Amino acid sequence: MLDDAVYREFEEVVGPDNISREPAILDGYTYQIVFNPTPSPWLNRPAAVALPCSTEEVQGIVKVCNRHHVRFKAHSTGWGVFNAPGYEDMIILDLRRMNRILQIDENNMFALVEPYITCNQLQAEAMKKGLNCHIIGAGPNTSVLASCTSVGGVGWTGISMGYNCRNVLGVEWVLPTGEVVRLGSPGSGDGWFSGDGPGPSLRGIMRGLFGAMGGLGVFTRVAVKLFNWPGPKRIDARGLMFDIKAEVPENIKLYILLFPDMQRFLDATYDLGDAEIGWIHSRNPAGMLFTFLFPGLMRETAGRPAMRSAMESIKHMVSFGIAASSPGELAYQEKVVREVIARNDGVLIDMGKLPQFESFMLFGLMRSTLSAFVFRAGGNFASSLVGEETTDSGAPQVDLGVRIKQEYIDKGALIDDMADTVWGSIYENNLFAHYESLMTFDSRDPRQQEWIKVDEEVVDELIDRKWGIGIGLSGAGTVVHKKFGPHMCNYDKWQRRIKKALDPEGLSDPIGYTEPGD
Amino acid sequence: MALREYERDIRGCSRCSICKWVPFAQIKSVDCATVCPSISRYNFHSYSGGGRLILGLSLLEDRVELTEEVADIIYKCVMCGACEVSCKIYRDDIDVLRVIEELRFACVENGMMLPEHMMMVDAMKQEDNVFGEPKSARGDWAKDLGLKDINKEKADVLFHAGCRLSYDEGLRGVVRGAASILSDAGVDLGIAGADEACCGGRAFEVGYRGELEKYAEDFASRVKASGCSKLVTPCSDCYGAFKQLYPMVGKELGVEVLHVVEYVEMLMGQGRIRPTVKVPLKVTYHDPCHLGRRGEPYREWEGEDKLKRPSAFKMSGTRGVYDAPREILSRLPAVELVEMERIREYAWCCGAGGGVMEAYPEFNSWSANERVDEALATGAQAIVTACPWCERSFTDALEERDEDLEVLDLMELLARSLGSEPDA
Repeated sequence: MLDDAVYREFEEVVGPDNISREPAILDGYTYQIVFNPTPSPWLNRPAAVALPCSTEEVQGIVKVCNRHHVRFKAHSTGWGVFNAPGYEDMIILDLRRMNRILQIDENNMFALVEPYITCNQLQAEAMKKGLNCHIIGAGPNTSVLASCTSVGGVGWTGISMGYNCRNVLGVEWVLPTGEVVRLGSPGSGDGWFSGDGPGPSLRGIMRGLFGAMGGLGVFTRVAVKLFNWPGPKRIDARGLMFDIKAEVPENIKLYILLFPDMQRFLDATYDLGDAEIGWIHSRNPAGMLFTFLFPGLMRETAGRPAMRSAMESIKHMVSFGIAASSPGELAYQEKVVREVIARNDGVLIDMGKLPQFESFMLFGLMRSTLSAFVFRAGGNFASSLVGEETTDSGAPQVDLGVRIKQEYIDKGALIDDMADTVWGSIYENNLFAHYESLMTFDSRDPRQQEWIKVDEEVVDELIDRKWGIGIGLSGAGTVVHKKFGPHMCNYDKWQRRIKKALDPEGLSDPIGYTEPGD
Repeated sequence: MALREYERDIRGCSRCSICKWVPFAQIKSVDCATVCPSISRYNFHSYSGGGRLILGLSLLEDRVELTEEVADIIYKCVMCGACEVSCKIYRDDIDVLRVIEELRFACVENGMMLPEHMMMVDAMKQEDNVFGEPKSARGDWAKDLGLKDINKEKADVLFHAGCRLSYDEGLRGVVRGAASILSDAGVDLGIAGADEACCGGRAFEVGYRGELEKYAEDFASRVKASGCSKLVTPCSDCYGAFKQLYPMVGKELGVEVLHVVEYVEMLMGQGRIRPTVKVPLKVTYHDPCHLGRRGEPYREWEGEDKLKRPSAFKMSGTRGVYDAPREILSRLPAVELVEMERIREYAWCCGAGGGVMEAYPEFNSWSANERVDEALATGAQAIVTACPWCERSFTDALEERDEDLEVLDLMELLARSLGSEPDA
């Protein structure tokens, strides 16, 4: 419970219409099922929720928190357990009123956005100016800012647009103490074009590999790198999803690539990365796609040998796209991808020969509209993230994730999606790859409450085998960091020191990040 | 509490917030990306489709009580169904709108109605219309049109004006125009006049399911007695009630139910209506919720596993009426249609539905003004619609603004193109 006088101080910052302690309102911020390891959908009910509309209001709230020792956490679109309050007596800052694109700089190819601008919105506006943005695998309804500053950042356009950890340029940051700092070039008043200055470069401290999950204050503005978009300003479509009809631009090509086994998939991936071609690249196993798109059908047929055999034979499946700036470039990239296929005994399916499917997949891949199909089979999913490593090291991690997952499918603790639902992409040519094994389940089913055990087993095996850091439990905070830390240069100790230095009072909800320490 | 019947739907919510957004492939700009007026206006998550599911679970688990504050959240929703369309793209197993309805039924069952809604329902009980206007004046709009009285003689088509068009004198041209167009096309048209009653749809939407059942029962017997083969209405609210709500409460009218735009399109196809007068006007078309996604025919499905529910039984909004009005517009000489960004299944609501016009006029006005802004951005000279509730909302919104945008019902525009613009 917040003291009435303290509540009034918050109210003075945002106005009475933009703060609430009505229990029915608060429960909207208490419920989270995705990545929630407990059987209950309810986490801690916060004491209040506020809707600031500016950096000044965010700063005002944080200062009140510091005066009265009230914990806080901010979220943008608010999806996933890491947005839930770690404590009952804290205040949630829902940043949805901070919803402006402040600038799209065509010359320097970046956008300056507030926290509640989604990838979908930015893409729509950027394309009008011949630019595009990296959309993370979680989908187009996620916050651009959050994927840059606070959580993850990987997606299907990694092959051409990198990773939002590195796409983040300038940042405006309200520290847990209430001070406002600007990272990168805006820190020296020189505009928002560079994350490393002139001005302070603290990107590693700000987010590290995966982000502090709201545990290091509030990010209020971010400049994010944009990339060339050779397509039209707007692709008009008729329909909503499966029925979408759109004219795919001539300079856009979409393919399904199939490989007979893991090794040849890996070799082809290296070839594509080395060739520096491609706009979209993602491993999307057939079993995963079928389960996501046709869950009722898969429920009926997944156990049948014929179906398993069919899915198994096409599981090393890649969605690949080209967006070329000229006919010559298109011809070159097409020639290269066909050579890569031939060299690795693959099969190439040109989606252009299947117009309805191509329309569906254009938005599915370009805008990541396929992502939310993960909810279709059971309403919930989790991710046994197995690595941010090289493509080669990803392969055994994929096998590990699939093997452990299959045990849980066999006992009915997960939905049968053929087990191999490992999606993955390469980044910055072949610098690193991200492989992520999804688990679908129905948290309404009492038998399907064990996903966290899969993650725990994967983490333990990754550590035992020294296969690199898995990020599957990163949202679980201190516990998992303590597990990984000793095997990874004691990074967890540095995290605790960073937390202590920036948040000496421990007010920025540490639950998804780490407690302060020495 | 029937809300309990939807517990599985409720517990399935992933809190992904897709319900707040236009279907992703149709997002064309930063400004027209959202689709839910309630969350857009009030901001706290509980005002979204998903937030309302969570609120339902809070109530089911007694985490919160049904207080005036909670009822206020429940009723600050236009029930436009846009959340349902966006959610259903991904989820077969959640019926968001049914949960929203159940929350309102719970309000009524627990005495948490809003005074404005109680007044409306009382008016219906006394005068068979939502305004409390004299029942005896219901048919006045048709004076001198020479239409058949179905209480006295048979007609092939029963024309149902609806409450708004029967009593809103500012919209008289719409209803007289619609009836005249049909009559001039040789349709054997009859009306019930003073004996026409409310469809009951607005009562249902504010939580009075029983009132709808009563009106549906009464209406079905009247339709049967009339001997008509078709029921035609120019009111989208009534159309939505006939197509979606009546079957939901188990009442079938046993005749073909058409919105006037569907019927006119059909008659145009037969060459019975031929617009020839040039009306040089750039227009944009506003899809009324109750003609579009909420006019989608309801079919009861008895199964338990909604993943196995055939798509014909799934309320996805895709089977609403979207093409007929556009087809009519395309046939009007010199009329140019310029589309807004949010159209068809994902159109932005005018703000009149769900009892919002009655209880929260400021919210109604806010939502209408958002739509007017979107219409103005197209460069249109007129916003055309096919629902009197939408037309009233836009007209009222524009009265407060200095904008050069005409608000028209499609039948008014058609009448101009037929050279027969009726007197109001």
